[in-house]
Amino acid sequence: MTQILSSSTDLPTSGFAAVARGLTRTYGRGDAAVHALRGVDLGLPVGRFTAIMGPSGSGKSTLMHCLAGLDQPTSGSVAVAGTALEDLDDTALTLFRREHLGFVFQSFNLLPMLTAGQNILLPLELAGRQPDRQRHDELIATLGLGDRLTHRPHELSGGQQQRVAIARALVHEPAVVFADEPTGNLDSESSAEVLGHLRRTVRELGQTVVMVTHELDAAAYADDVVVIADGTIRAHLVEPSADQLVATLRGER
Amino acid sequence: MRTVLLASLRTHTRRYVAAVLAVTIGVGFVVATNAIASAARDGMVAGVALPYDDADAVVTDLSGAEAVTLVDRAARAGDSAAVLGWTMQPVRGSRVSDRVDVGAIADDPVLRWQVVEEGRFPRGPGEAVADVNAAKSEGVGVGDPLTVGAGSRAVEVTVVGLVDSPSASVGATLYLPWSEVTAWSQTLYVDSVAYRGAGPEELSGVPGTVRDVDEFVEDRSTELSQGVNVLAYVLLLFAAIALTVAVLVIANTFSILFAQRTRDFALLRCVGATRRQVLRSVRVEALLLGAVSSVVGVVAGAGLGLGLVALVRELSPRAPLGAVSFSPAWLAAALVTGLVVTLLAAWLPTRKVVRVSPLAALRPDQDVDVHTAAGRLRIGLGLALVVGGVGLLAASVAVTSVAPMLAGGIASFSGLLLLGPVLVPALIRLGGGALGRVGGTTARLATGNAVRNPRRTAATTASLLVGVTLTTAVLTGLATARGSIDGEMATQHPVDLTLTATGDPLPTTLVGDVRATPDVAAAVAVEGVRAEVSHGVGDLRVLTVPDDAGTVTHAALPRPRPGEIWLPYDVAPDARRVAVTVGGRDVTLRVRLGEGWDLAGLVAPATLARLGDPAPQAVWVRAGGGADAEDVAGDLEALAVNVDAELGNGLAQRAYVTLQLDVLTGAVVGLLGIAVVIALVGIGNTLGLSVLERGREHSLLRALGLTRRQLRATLATEAVLLSVVATVLGTAVGVAYAWVGNEAMVRPLVDDSPMVLPVRQLALVVVVAGLAGLASCLLPARRAARVAPAAGLATD
Repeated sequence: MTQILSSSTDLPTSGFAAVARGLTRTYGRGDAAVHALRGVDLGLPVGRFTAIMGPSGSGKSTLMHCLAGLDQPTSGSVAVAGTALEDLDDTALTLFRREHLGFVFQSFNLLPMLTAGQNILLPLELAGRQPDRQRHDELIATLGLGDRLTHRPHELSGGQQQRVAIARALVHEPAVVFADEPTGNLDSESSAEVLGHLRRTVRELGQTVVMVTHELDAAAYADDVVVIADGTIRAHLVEPSADQLVATLRGER
Repeated sequence: MRTVLLASLRTHTRRYVAAVLAVTIGVGFVVATNAIASAARDGMVAGVALPYDDADAVVTDLSGAEAVTLVDRAARAGDSAAVLGWTMQPVRGSRVSDRVDVGAIADDPVLRWQVVEEGRFPRGPGEAVADVNAAKSEGVGVGDPLTVGAGSRAVEVTVVGLVDSPSASVGATLYLPWSEVTAWSQTLYVDSVAYRGAGPEELSGVPGTVRDVDEFVEDRSTELSQGVNVLAYVLLLFAAIALTVAVLVIANTFSILFAQRTRDFALLRCVGATRRQVLRSVRVEALLLGAVSSVVGVVAGAGLGLGLVALVRELSPRAPLGAVSFSPAWLAAALVTGLVVTLLAAWLPTRKVVRVSPLAALRPDQDVDVHTAAGRLRIGLGLALVVGGVGLLAASVAVTSVAPMLAGGIASFSGLLLLGPVLVPALIRLGGGALGRVGGTTARLATGNAVRNPRRTAATTASLLVGVTLTTAVLTGLATARGSIDGEMATQHPVDLTLTATGDPLPTTLVGDVRATPDVAAAVAVEGVRAEVSHGVGDLRVLTVPDDAGTVTHAALPRPRPGEIWLPYDVAPDARRVAVTVGGRDVTLRVRLGEGWDLAGLVAPATLARLGDPAPQAVWVRAGGGADAEDVAGDLEALAVNVDAELGNGLAQRAYVTLQLDVLTGAVVGLLGIAVVIALVGIGNTLGLSVLERGREHSLLRALGLTRRQLRATLATEAVLLSVVATVLGTAVGVAYAWVGNEAMVRPLVDDSPMVLPVRQLALVVVVAGLAGLASCLLPARRAARVAPAAGLATD
């Protein structure tokens, strides 16, 4: 059942929600240069829940930011939903993000001056689109937010805030949802709830979800796990067992 | 703590720019006032002693006739006397404006205090000299012929010299020999007489008050100085307003900065800094800030003052401005004021700093919670002040008294400022809601941002509210004053322009020609005869008011009854009845005096018929609304020359009064504008600091798909909402205060003074405030838009 995909320079784009080729990202220059990514080739398959794991400073957040068009790679190319991101200027990139991507962050996910309901509809509002009522209501019901829509973020618990963020990430039917340590600030019960919701969107809605995490428990909810260290990909595990995952991670240390 | 203090100053320098600017402008204002006042005092006092240098005594409190007697007495006694004063006379020829002040040249060369710059002094009647600076602005040169005065008292003179006459108290435009000036002794204003040849004791019998020369000069200097002091106090009042606004801006800056640095302070407390140490550190920070901005303000103000005085002297040589001298006490006071203002503004915000618990540093990374709301005490006090203040204002209207008006105004405005955190966000929501229907998400986000911290919002808008309220109150007050002055001017100058024959009767075609002139709204021909009037009036046109005069007049002209003649004040005869002679026919008429129809007599049609055959002797003209007085007068002057007529220009005088009101309005608005500028710096500052605070929010929004342009638009909308709401509220309050002021202060004095709303000016204030608000957000918006979408979202 499990296999290890070898990194290849010639990834086909079909069947992948996001593809990176020869991706490098360097911060600073000269002696102070930090090589966050040193040539990453990666393909993230459509309709799967992929976790990106690695120790602190391994470059996992940078990788996600580059894949999501939040950061510009130093070299290499990224294609998301068939669009090459390096061809887009800032405005086009912004429009692309709000049309095709969804985000869930560790903390500071919601705008404090908007209600939960307004936060959820924000990506659509920014794009000037009408929400698909049915999908909206389904999401609200699934995430159990029906009685929380008029509350402001500071009136919600951490888990509730994160569920609002998930609803916001999904409401406009994005090609990929990126989640950056979505359970970093949550207790274990809320964490399980949030991860369960993410997995259900993959299973039931065919959503592609990419999640950066350093928690094994969180990674266990994912279908695939990409292990990254020192700016390069060490392994791309497909449906690994817990033991296999631990072994791979341990091998890195 | 010193390392902390220095490092914090280094780190936060940029955030203090607005506070420094606010104090600098206020202090600079105070210093510039010193420069202007010192130059004005120097200019006013400089020439005061000059006319009395060679006198042995000074006589004051004299009428024109008494002055004539005194000069005659001096001549009989072998002494000499110079009359210092002036009479306003119509002057024709050259480019001299309608009426100018005419003074006398002493017969005794020793008492001539004017200094010849060009040409020479008059050698006898028929010669005159002009003030060299006035000559420049009036376009008079040596050799120009002028007609001074009206009627039989008019004299023809030639300008034979230009003189420097630098006295602010007795200087005039034209100086004629004393023998010529005596003809106008009735209208001569005598300031003083310089008497040479006899001391105060020997003059005890003469009319008026005899005084010692030195004592008189000293008193006069003090008097003029006090006049300058009043000017300085008025300017300082505006400086105080600017500094008050500065206090609001600085206090707000400190509140925001300290809120942002709460974690830093908590950390300091964690590592062992005592409350006292933290408090001292931030207070020293404020002190240094105040010191730096005060010094910069003094230097900038000194430069500005010197520049302004130089500019005014360059543009207007007649302005009595001398050398600038800075008073050390004044500069020191300006420095201290700047320091005190800064410390005062920092006091309350710094007190909050010490309440930070050391634990705050250990809590997980929370964003600064800046959600502040108005306390109940604040709302209660605010409401009480507003209610009480409005009550006092109502009382002041009822009893038309100023004291309750001032108290009520201050109380209600303070209450309004206290209620700001409730009132202003509510108004912003209202405005933002309306805008949201058009502007969509950006407007909604902007509204949310603008009201999320009610106290900060209120503090930011308060500064602008102060400036705008005062500006609109003054604008409305002046517009109302203008309304009543316009009425007064219409009575004084009911006819805009008159063409009156000087030789033969006017051709009947002239009315048509005048009507065809651009900017002429209406013209009527006026019938009359040329007559000789007794009792010193002389050759004069005697006219009858035509039936259709109403089409050209702004206010009713007198309707003379049979047996009456209306004469202008300029040619007032010295009797109550005059004989009017036309071609040997002689009619005695009762004299009534008035003005507004130029140099002519007015009689009833029946009286005119008794005098002779009426012929067109004048054309009265009404200029179109908004016509330029000089253009119309120039066109009509050209017509007048052809037909041997002379132009009377009431329009120019009205234009002059209007100009003075415009200048006054401009000056007040300009002075208040400084406070408004400081307020706008404050708005830009609050936005800039909020942008720093909201960095993570902005990157989140950018990640979610807000374009750079939308982010900039959001901030621009927030700035415009803040400034326009403050301006609209300020305008409403200002207009209300102006109404109360009109009811309480003007109504009792002037029967009919309806309030006039300068709608266009008020609309302009709102538009300018909106644009300025937009300008104030340019830098913060640029900075915000530079935020990378990923910044601040990283997990670590």
